[in-house]
Amino acid sequence: MERFIAGLVKDFESGKVDRREFCQTVALAAVVYGAGDAANAAPERGLKVIGINHISYTCPDYAKARDFYTSVLGMVSTPGKDNGKRANLMFGPEPGKGGSFIVARTAGTEAKPPSKAVVDHIAYTIANWDEARVRGALKAKGLEVTGRDGSLHVRDPFNYDVQISSAAQENAFRR
Amino acid sequence: MEGFVAQKLHDFENGKISRRRLIETLTLAATTVYAGGAGAAESPGLTAALVNHISYTCADYKKAADWYSKVFGLDQVGATDHDVALPFGKKGEQPYNVAAKDVPLTHLIIRTRDLNAPPAAGGAPRPKSSALIDHVAYTIADFDRDKASADLKAMGVENVRNGGPYSLHMTDAFGYDVQISGLANNALTDG
Repeated sequence: MERFIAGLVKDFESGKVDRREFCQTVALAAVVYGAGDAANAAPERGLKVIGINHISYTCPDYAKARDFYTSVLGMVSTPGKDNGKRANLMFGPEPGKGGSFIVARTAGTEAKPPSKAVVDHIAYTIANWDEARVRGALKAKGLEVTGRDGSLHVRDPFNYDVQISSAAQENAFRR
Repeated sequence: MEGFVAQKLHDFENGKISRRRLIETLTLAATTVYAGGAGAAESPGLTAALVNHISYTCADYKKAADWYSKVFGLDQVGATDHDVALPFGKKGEQPYNVAAKDVPLTHLIIRTRDLNAPPAAGGAPRPKSSALIDHVAYTIADFDRDKASADLKAMGVENVRNGGPYSLHMTDAFGYDVQISGLANNALTDG
């Protein structure tokens, strides 16, 4: 990338590319770089999971869930995707580049076949973990915080268990 | 991004930064702005960088874990007599498109336990939730719906069906709804 940009600066200085073209090219290079890892994602065997695409969350009032997850966990309600019954709440990498989202929806009348399994909680990683800051941010939202350092639990508006984790405490390889 | 580049170019033209500094700054920006994702920005509130894990409880964790290992090629690590973790990659790997070093691989924790039992450390049992995670969707590398459908059926996966133009649904070993899709299915295209 550095060599590419150095060449571009040289072209700009020599008048081969104008100012506008320079800026657009660097911006485009950044986008391409961000998407480039897709080439490294080839499956080794069968279906290779690269992440959580979305979590389908059904509750009595999607708006309350939307407001909780955007306020407490910094998720972003996707513009144009809130139809009064559901909303897509984005987090992590950009959409289309490995980002995840919660589909928060108000329960309808459709019945799904019963499952004998349950997803009883979801844990989210907070980067740059600072115990006091995380606890303070949760308490500032009026939430009761349980759990242990680096692995905290709160309840969302529908009593769903939400875990908030540091990399140090919640890592599959350090169990 | 374009505005940032224009500003740096302006600084260079006015002699505020050197040519070398311009190149270094733009290189850094171009390789982190879109690749960084998780943890790129510090904000006063909390920001979920990624799903750390999904806690899945069923009557036989070994049976469920074997299903997810078979279908998604996931390793099983840290097994106990009542649970096991299935990370989305190998030890030392970074989550897809996440640059922050303190964001571990997402993993499933598949357990067998009584969710109505009081906590071992004492206190009240878990309160009942009126919300439900009715399905989880996984992003698959190089997703090809027809090929994936054929592969799943060959593995004996039950109830494989199309879920719109970008995805498939199926049921796991305990009848739980599992969706798979590629990067094309995302917050901007879903719904």
